[in-house]
Amino acid sequence: MSDLALAFTWARRELRAGLSGFWVFLACLALGVGAIAGVGAVSQAVQEALQRDARALAGGDVVVRTSYEPAGPDQIAWMQERSAALSRGLEMRVMAGGADAIERRLSELKAVDQAYPVAGTFALRDGGALHHALAERDGRWGAVAEEGLLDLLGLAVGDPLTVGSQTYQLRGIIAQEPDRSTSLASFGPRLMVAAASVEGTGLILPGSLIRYVYRVALMPRADPLDWAAALEDRFPSAPLRITPASRAAPGLGETVGRLTLFLTLVGLTALLIGGIGIANAVQSFMGRKAGTIAILKCVGAPARLILLTYGVQTAALALLGIAVGLGLGTAAPFVLAALLESLLPVKLEPGIYPLALLQGAAFGVLTTAAFALWPLLKSRRIAAARLFRDMVAPAGGRPTLVEAGVIAGLLALLALLAVTTAEQPGFAVWFVGAVAAAFILFFLAAHGLAAVARRLAQTRLARLRPSLRLALANLSRPGAPTVSVVLSLGFGVTVLVAVAGIEANLGKTLREDLPAQAPTFFFVDIQPNQLANFRETVATVPGEHALVARPMLRARIVKINGQPVREEDLAENVRWSVRSERGLTYQAEPPDNGAIVAGRWWSADYKGPPLISFHAGIAAGMGIGVGDTLTFNILGREITATIANLRAIDFRSVRMQFSTIFAPGTLEAAPHTILATTRTPPEQASALVRAVSAKFPNISAVRVKEALESFDNLIRQIGNAIRVIAAVGLIAGVLVLASAVAAGQQARRHDAVILKVLGATRPNVLAIYLWEFGVLGIGTVGIAAVIGGTAAYIVVTGVMSLQWTLPLGAILLTAPLALAITLVAGFAGVWQTLGQKPAPLLRNA
Amino acid sequence: MLAPSDSVIALEDVHLTLGSAAGPVNILRGIDLSVAAGETVGVVGPSGSGKTTMLMIIAGLERPSAGSVRVAGNDLNRLSEDGLARFRRDHVGIVFQAFHLVPTMTALENVAVPLELAGRKDAFERAAAALEAVGLGHRLTHYPSQLSGGEQQRVAIARAFAPGPRVLLADEPTGNLDGDTGQQVIELLFEQCAREGTTLVLITHDPALASRCSRQVRVADGRIAGSEAEAEAVA
Repeated sequence: MSDLALAFTWARRELRAGLSGFWVFLACLALGVGAIAGVGAVSQAVQEALQRDARALAGGDVVVRTSYEPAGPDQIAWMQERSAALSRGLEMRVMAGGADAIERRLSELKAVDQAYPVAGTFALRDGGALHHALAERDGRWGAVAEEGLLDLLGLAVGDPLTVGSQTYQLRGIIAQEPDRSTSLASFGPRLMVAAASVEGTGLILPGSLIRYVYRVALMPRADPLDWAAALEDRFPSAPLRITPASRAAPGLGETVGRLTLFLTLVGLTALLIGGIGIANAVQSFMGRKAGTIAILKCVGAPARLILLTYGVQTAALALLGIAVGLGLGTAAPFVLAALLESLLPVKLEPGIYPLALLQGAAFGVLTTAAFALWPLLKSRRIAAARLFRDMVAPAGGRPTLVEAGVIAGLLALLALLAVTTAEQPGFAVWFVGAVAAAFILFFLAAHGLAAVARRLAQTRLARLRPSLRLALANLSRPGAPTVSVVLSLGFGVTVLVAVAGIEANLGKTLREDLPAQAPTFFFVDIQPNQLANFRETVATVPGEHALVARPMLRARIVKINGQPVREEDLAENVRWSVRSERGLTYQAEPPDNGAIVAGRWWSADYKGPPLISFHAGIAAGMGIGVGDTLTFNILGREITATIANLRAIDFRSVRMQFSTIFAPGTLEAAPHTILATTRTPPEQASALVRAVSAKFPNISAVRVKEALESFDNLIRQIGNAIRVIAAVGLIAGVLVLASAVAAGQQARRHDAVILKVLGATRPNVLAIYLWEFGVLGIGTVGIAAVIGGTAAYIVVTGVMSLQWTLPLGAILLTAPLALAITLVAGFAGVWQTLGQKPAPLLRNA
Repeated sequence: MLAPSDSVIALEDVHLTLGSAAGPVNILRGIDLSVAAGETVGVVGPSGSGKTTMLMIIAGLERPSAGSVRVAGNDLNRLSEDGLARFRRDHVGIVFQAFHLVPTMTALENVAVPLELAGRKDAFERAAAALEAVGLGHRLTHYPSQLSGGEQQRVAIARAFAPGPRVLLADEPTGNLDGDTGQQVIELLFEQCAREGTTLVLITHDPALASRCSRQVRVADGRIAGSEAEAEAVA
């Protein structure tokens, strides 16, 4: 019989003994593989749904938008000729109120024509037809709205609703709007009216931010990308934003992609933590098999054959674990579909995703190989005689250069697989590097803890308390679970501490620091001729309002130094600045916030070619500086300006700030509106909104506090999502902890019996374990607090540039959790030893 | 037989019956034994006769099914499991054939354990002295696996004597050792007993070793089959 056949035969015989001792191995593998395969499968289900519903999400095969002014008649004619259906509409922010129009709320108005929707299905809650609801009846136009608006204004279907100078009748509640914005930012609930009714609101004013939207359904077999390219070719200088359906929800698609990558990598981290459990399980299995191996060697089995035999067994168990994981991964999209549908604008049709499963399996195989190899290899090199005496130095020694090389190669393959299967390899490289660094850090810290325990065990203080000394000795003895526990549990706790630390600092900024300095309101779309009147109106409301008003236009950067902008040439973190129109202003004096870091401010009476003051950070991302030129498309006109100076702008202050400020003399004649901020005493806030909206129905008031609160909520939700993910890592950590403790159970039982023979009571033994797991838990929490706190510090001060406060509360909340986990899982592993009767063990020795 | 009032060990009609698949097995069938303070008793008998079980009952590691056990003034039947542990801590030292050292502790730590359990502040100093006394002053920081069999048994003896027990129980202490090493260990054991005035109960298969005790007790089939005092007890 060949070696391999013999190995299979022996392996089969040994596996007949069952899976006892391998539950942690199987659970770790199944959890990690299940997480990776599940994330992949769910992500594919979501991406497929997004693709399938792309037309409906976009609102058509192609959607064309213009700002401020509608598309020209020739452009509309071009679109009309080349489409099966064209729906024309507009979108703007308005203040909507009830009949008395005293209480008004910011809402997102969408006006549509009869052709809407050209893709997807629109539904009202009562099942009525949209256009019937919007139609003019008895001299009154109809409106439909999201339930949120009705709640805010205290209105019911049938009530009058005022927008500008038009009073609508509320005729329905929106149940489904196929092309509701997929972006996260929303300034208020949706309100829909007929396009023909908008003129009557009196809100279509020059410079007001109105987006005209043209939703196009193409002829059968027409290609949206070709159609979009043809439109752009025909009207190259028109300020049209043309979006084919496939690119309609890039934000959502990208978000899902990023989330997938992040979750996959977290799954991989859980799998790596589980890897320690796998190594422990194989190690303890090989320990239990020492006698068998010795006998096999004594009767002439070569080391290679023994390695093969146990390798085959490990592989068989790994296949079982991976299969369970793949089962979990396959089930994930089916189980999570309902939950995800409440969060996403699409309906999922889950299926089986072989690629995602394959990826999970590949990670599982490589992780098992990387972590199980060393315990397996150790059995090969130990002489039979030594196997009998292998308690203090369990199969000791270090791997040879070749063995270490093979293990390192497997780990490198694992990293390579993570990077090559990632949608953003750059992020994956960063993540893998960070995880590797964290592993090394934890490894060193764990050894440090063991060394400290060894030192402490020899101190006079420890000797005064025998249970403490014995516990400390337990932590530093050969084969102690210290490193396993710190490494496995430390990871999860670190993530918890880091998230809590970031959240605490961000929360403090959002809830305390920002509201203290941010304005109360942003008033938008003030017409220049309303400004004086607006100032007077504000002044009539009691209290200091610190009114600041600046002209505002919206423009898009189209050329850098005369060359058309190409997003891919810009640093990733500034690409947003050229994607759409951004607000800009003009002024003679330098603003009081934002220090000039390069160049000089213009003289107050400057009258020359266009100059701008620009955001230093964006300039760096674009690779430009003082003296370079930017070309802006402002309402269809291109204006090229030279950068005169760069300012360091801190957008986090939520004050009115513009990344681009023009020198006087260029934009004064262009149609624009005024943007104003006030810092109104809280008790006067409602009075101010009432006073302004009663007099100026066209002016929208954005309450900063509400925007900050919704952002704060978003941050908390993200924090909770990360906590759920950290929990996966923690579960893996707990499994590893229990396995590490259980692996030494035989030895602990023996020790406990001897202690009892020598006169130790059960409370004595219990006290030893309490000290041992207590010190281990506190040590792990300490290490995790330092590493997690440092990570949070780097993110808060380096990435977010916020002020750092030590999140002591967050750490103190996390610590008992980790300590409890260590104690419970530790005791679960040793509980049986407490009741161990000495006599049977002494007889069998 | 009633135990004399100065007995350190007094077993009266001790029975031990254990359940097994084939029905109850009577391991001890009415043992009566009385050992006076300072006496050395050699227990002999064929394998399976109940010698080790009797020793375990004296140590409080096994509870009898019937009969009374008094050791060092303690009625062991009245003690809880933790009470028995405290009783061993305070009164009994045990030396096993298989040494039974804690493999993850150094020689010094192994010897210090019972002293630490007894709350001795000078546990390590006494442990070091005990190891010095058995000739292992140079092996304090060695783990059991780094010691020879003879050295391990000497550590076990140091551990058993270190707290100054009234009773020392030894179960074939030389069973795992070669002749010369075994001889050295036995010399040490008797020396220590004589010096400390410790009562010794020693199980052995070696008639020569048994004859060094002041009394020999023969156990057969779970009973005391005979007892004879040696004229030439080793001092």
